[in-house]
Amino acid sequence: MKIKKTADCDVLVIGAGMAGCIAAARASSLGMKTIQAGNSSSFFFASGLFDLLGVFPVETGKIVDRPCSAIAQLQSEQRDHPYSKTTVDQIKEGFEFLASFLDSASLPYSLPGTDNRHILTSLGTFKPTYMVPQTVSKGCNLEEKNILIVDFKGLRGFSAKQVAAGLATKNRQTQVLSIEVPENLGNLNPVHLATAFEKKEFIQHLADKLLKFSGKADIVGLPAVCGIHNSLEITESLEKKTGMDVFEIPGMPPSIPGLRLKNAFEKKLSGLGTLFLSNAKIIFHAMEKDHFILRAVNDNFETRIKAQGVILATGRFPGGGLFARRDIILETVFDLPVFQPETREMWHQLNFLDPKGHLINQAGLETDEMFRPLDKAGKPAFENLYAAGSIIAHNDWTRLKCGAGVACISAYTAVNSFYKRHL
Amino acid sequence: MYKTIETDVLIIGGGVTGTGVARDLSLRGLQCVLIDKSDLNAGASGGNHGLLHSGARYVGSDPKAAVECRNELEILKKNAGHCIEDTGGLFVAVKGDDETYIADFPGMCEKSGVYCQKIDLALAREMEPVLSDDLIAVYQVNDASINPFKLSIENMNDAVSRGSQFLSFCELIEFKLSHKNIDYAIIKNLNTGESFHIKARTHVNASGAWAARIAAMAGITINMVLSKGTLLVTSKRMTKRVINRLRKATDGDILVPGGVVSIIGTTSIRVDSPDHIYPTISEVDHIINEGQRIVPALKTCRYIRAYSGARPLVSENNTTDDRTVSRGFTLRDHEINGVDNFITITGGKLSTFRLMAEKTSDLVCWKHSIFSTCLTKEIPLPSTKTGGWSEPGLMANEPVMSKTGFDPILCECEMVPMGAIDTLVNSVRQNKGKPDLISIALRSRVGKGPCQGAFCSLRIFSHLYDNNVIQDHSDIRDLKRFLNERWKGERSLLWDQALVQSSLKEMIHSGLFGLELIENKQ
Repeated sequence: MKIKKTADCDVLVIGAGMAGCIAAARASSLGMKTIQAGNSSSFFFASGLFDLLGVFPVETGKIVDRPCSAIAQLQSEQRDHPYSKTTVDQIKEGFEFLASFLDSASLPYSLPGTDNRHILTSLGTFKPTYMVPQTVSKGCNLEEKNILIVDFKGLRGFSAKQVAAGLATKNRQTQVLSIEVPENLGNLNPVHLATAFEKKEFIQHLADKLLKFSGKADIVGLPAVCGIHNSLEITESLEKKTGMDVFEIPGMPPSIPGLRLKNAFEKKLSGLGTLFLSNAKIIFHAMEKDHFILRAVNDNFETRIKAQGVILATGRFPGGGLFARRDIILETVFDLPVFQPETREMWHQLNFLDPKGHLINQAGLETDEMFRPLDKAGKPAFENLYAAGSIIAHNDWTRLKCGAGVACISAYTAVNSFYKRHL
Repeated sequence: MYKTIETDVLIIGGGVTGTGVARDLSLRGLQCVLIDKSDLNAGASGGNHGLLHSGARYVGSDPKAAVECRNELEILKKNAGHCIEDTGGLFVAVKGDDETYIADFPGMCEKSGVYCQKIDLALAREMEPVLSDDLIAVYQVNDASINPFKLSIENMNDAVSRGSQFLSFCELIEFKLSHKNIDYAIIKNLNTGESFHIKARTHVNASGAWAARIAAMAGITINMVLSKGTLLVTSKRMTKRVINRLRKATDGDILVPGGVVSIIGTTSIRVDSPDHIYPTISEVDHIINEGQRIVPALKTCRYIRAYSGARPLVSENNTTDDRTVSRGFTLRDHEINGVDNFITITGGKLSTFRLMAEKTSDLVCWKHSIFSTCLTKEIPLPSTKTGGWSEPGLMANEPVMSKTGFDPILCECEMVPMGAIDTLVNSVRQNKGKPDLISIALRSRVGKGPCQGAFCSLRIFSHLYDNNVIQDHSDIRDLKRFLNERWKGERSLLWDQALVQSSLKEMIHSGLFGLELIENKQ
């Protein structure tokens, strides 16, 4: 027997990925009564880096150094892109809000002035990105430094030699160190390793190993597993013990910096009174006057929700916001019209890593300037329904490296618009 | 001065035929060098159902091929049992299928001596619950499934153990002819760019769909038509037995189980070149629409991969329906074309590869004036360690911990541990190949599970750096090539869950790592 409840709110955020969490953060910061429903597992895929615009134009693969001026160019060339519905100043404002929110949740990020940072990844590539965790930011400046890269035997997908090979392309001579974790016989789970970092004995063990490189190295790169909570304190205590700078290198999922974000959002949002319905599937029932009536269902409970406004941040295919049949792409909660390539033949390029990107990544919802999804006639489908994040059309964020930026600005703008117009 | 390798026989083409010839000749005491411009089974040998025909498929169209299949099936079951799963098969007809063909079928089987037994429809559905409710006739036959990768690996391993060698990524550039003979062959190692010579007494062209191109290098014309066939791999095994549609051979009418998956196909589309063929979306839709007539679950099941092979068909006259061209094989002694020490073997099919190798080897021995008999009928094919990693799903049942204790799983979908990767790296090196993700994937189940290489590629790639198998950052292009190779098989199947997986893969490899920004080597 399922427990049935009812709940009223000013705004329901559907989705618990990056865009959903930023929307919930903004809404509760503005004092709105907020309910958030969704599955937060996408954070395991989040590198923890917040991109603004990393590559533009994608056809030429041009790496962006000054994202704000590149956005201005993108706005003039791609009228449909979500960034073209806003201004550079608003985008900056959104990032400032996000940074201060995370700071208040004890997850300090470093906001640069104008330039992108190029962050070393576990693959040895450099990712053009914008706002990064403070534990990562020290790795931005490796000029003239004696670098030591450390890996942990059994932590799959992270090899110090591989990272060093990447650094060698920038003429950086790098030393490598492989550390054995006692009693590990196979897969070293990143979550377990990150938990080990929170123990003083482990940090001492690690510091002892690093001290052997004293005088030979002045900065140490570690896989981004330096603790789940208090990662900055942990890296700083390593720095104190060794006299070397310490930075984290993001890599393949499951991502610990992503997990830190998930925890930070959950903790802070709960403190602000946001009700979180975990793993709930949202079913749109009807409009009752100006209010949305929806049902949130999971295995254990069913909640009837009455909401004045809804932020749809359900993502694309992995998030479940869009669903692809063999012949058509559908939106899953409101059955909104989805912009999409005409036939499946056009969905994907013949080359997986075609710099142009796949047309299916342009699929999504068309919106107005306030990020309200449009119906077939081009009018807002609902007065108070907003979209945020990757469900918005015309945004190939994997190629443009603008996923976090679009999530942030659309969530921030959508919530602000709703707030200004109706409360 | 070029390096020259001297050998008895140079075999061109590392498919089931070429590796079969290498083993057959090695057993008769001849030393062979087998070259392939790619790797093992890169052509049709790797692009088929993995079906060992009972012969029933050909009783109407090609009784000679039917008899050959019947005989070969018995020999292979006896001698290469570790490459075969003796599944048995069914021929099923559904409402609307040609009733005359159905009525004639048992008689035609009897004429070719191919076993077939009528099965009650209710019993058939009990045997294979996924069969359609529209069944009108079912016959049981002796079909089996075979792992063509394992087959080629084991044939080559046996030949190597007898003194032959395999050179992967070595392309034939030119034949130097003199006095009605090929004097020597100029070969280029595509990994290193170096050229070298191979001087052999006899040359066997076993290059399948590339046979006309190789023959042309000796100035000889072979008329071939190439027929592309596309197949789809389901994520789960659908049936215990091979399921054939009981009708004249056409598209989407064979479903073959192999380990934990099933394979449905095929199509038949004329192509000009065997290079760069890939499954198209219309082929995929067509196969699913046809396949669901006999097994309705094929409409809704998840597919993990699609692939294509080019059937090499030797054409004697002009025809438009490639399925009417004989599926028998063609053995040409090019002495009649004025090149005495050159043989082409092409056409045919997986089921009769051993017979093709036998007839080819007989001709080679005749040319060498060696009196010998074929031994592959009698001597079982040995089973080796490196062959084992290519079997779908079987590895999950093996103990995965190595003796040293430390052996993390690098491919979680298919449960391939680090120790297995190291074994495969050594095996590739023994064949003078370049150990990279593609050559490892070819010899194992790596990248063939639901994640299609999204995660295991990164774990294995890092491990290769750890072990100094690769050292340079520019080798990151190997990762790109591997992902693109997987992509060829994914692209036409991306809807529902498969699209979710490929989106995640793109998030990691493009979104985070920016692999698309790494320039491809020319």
